[in-house]
Amino acid sequence: MILDAHGHVGSWPDFLIPDPTADGLVSLMDRLGIDAMGISHLLGVGPDAEGGNRLAFEAAERHPGRFGVWQVYNPHHRNRLVTEGVWGVKIHPDVHQCPLDDPRYDPVWELGLPVLAHGQTDSPWSDPARFAVVAARHPGVPLLMGHTGLWPYGFARAARLAADHPNLYLETCGSKMTGRWIARLAELAGADRVLFGSDSCFLDLRVGYGRIALAPLGEADRALIQGGNLARILGGQA
Amino acid sequence: MPKLIDAHRLIGPVPFDDLPEDPRPEMDRLGVERAYVTHTLSLYSDAHAGNQALFALDDPRLVPVPVVVPEAFAPIPSWQVAMVRLCPERHRFDLTGPVALRWLDAIDAVVAVDLEETSPAQLLALTTRLPELRVLLLNPGYRRLRAIAELMSEAPNIWLEIGTVNTQRAVEWLAERFGARRLVWGTGAPVLDDCGPRFLLDHLELPEKDVELIARGGDLL
Repeated sequence: MILDAHGHVGSWPDFLIPDPTADGLVSLMDRLGIDAMGISHLLGVGPDAEGGNRLAFEAAERHPGRFGVWQVYNPHHRNRLVTEGVWGVKIHPDVHQCPLDDPRYDPVWELGLPVLAHGQTDSPWSDPARFAVVAARHPGVPLLMGHTGLWPYGFARAARLAADHPNLYLETCGSKMTGRWIARLAELAGADRVLFGSDSCFLDLRVGYGRIALAPLGEADRALIQGGNLARILGGQA
Repeated sequence: MPKLIDAHRLIGPVPFDDLPEDPRPEMDRLGVERAYVTHTLSLYSDAHAGNQALFALDDPRLVPVPVVVPEAFAPIPSWQVAMVRLCPERHRFDLTGPVALRWLDAIDAVVAVDLEETSPAQLLALTTRLPELRVLLLNPGYRRLRAIAELMSEAPNIWLEIGTVNTQRAVEWLAERFGARRLVWGTGAPVLDDCGPRFLLDHLELPEKDVELIARGGDLL
């Protein structure tokens, strides 16, 4: 089973995404054998969480079984969240300009669902140390550190922090990630703590999955990283 | 895939990570036949020392890409090489200044430069001044597709390394506009990733002949 923990649909203001569509994602998922992907709509990550979440649910309905929804929570707009029919909650402390461990995110943790959060080493909003703080406060919440902190100089530290918190997971997408680093993360934190994510359509799904498929990993570890771990976290939702 | 050439690879140690110094084991693992390599000493220490280490390799699988540092009172190198690399930001010279222009006009080789070392405007000025020059733009990333497309439209003597062209279906988008012949497979490994770009090559939604052209360096290499 291959599960992509970190996906998006929609456009983003910073740059041109040639194919931002859900249909485009599914056609590549079919080619690569990716069973399902967790998505948030980039409109929701941006200024309209409520509207973006609606679009993400519509995309999931159009492609049954292929998309799980990470519903975005915006701590300023305090939008409605649901507990059924979703993979969990997506938050982006850097876009929201709200630290991950700020009380304004408390409604997210109180749901008890898995949470995927943008993680960025040395960011005032989403440094991996803030993930450790939240993971300790809410040990029952599976917390996925998006991008493993994004910058290679912070990967080893992110892995050490994750190793100390059993509910904290390292998600692999990002333009600076390498297949070699994914294998190192598995050594440092344990393969059961590393999750494949692509950030597609923001990034190219083939590059994100290719780092897993061709990483210098044993097959048992690869199976955990590319889907086994997320299936365990999601239980019956995957 | 009959022949796979990595147009952008490093050999040697880097100061900020523990990475393989010899690219050949990973090239073997990923099925890369040849690589255009620059020595890390040329980037992170002394350009001359790195170039000397590079020339001492003497392995036909590793095509030397020495680093050129244009200097006003130094002789222009007379190396017989297929490609040279420029680092105008790192080595603090003006890419479109009179010395660089004179040197590049005299060097008969592809000129590789990382986008982080320059700007589209500088590259446009350079390629306009030297229309016979063949430039390989390394590490263009994925956030500046519009600027890259504008540059490639205006400068037919610029080719693009695709290892970091990493937003959804961007390589196909570029191939549609500029043709596969102007796209060159490369990675920037081991600092940058080679697994994802290698996998991408096998899954591009382009005619097989176009993929093979990109895999062996477009019509540049």
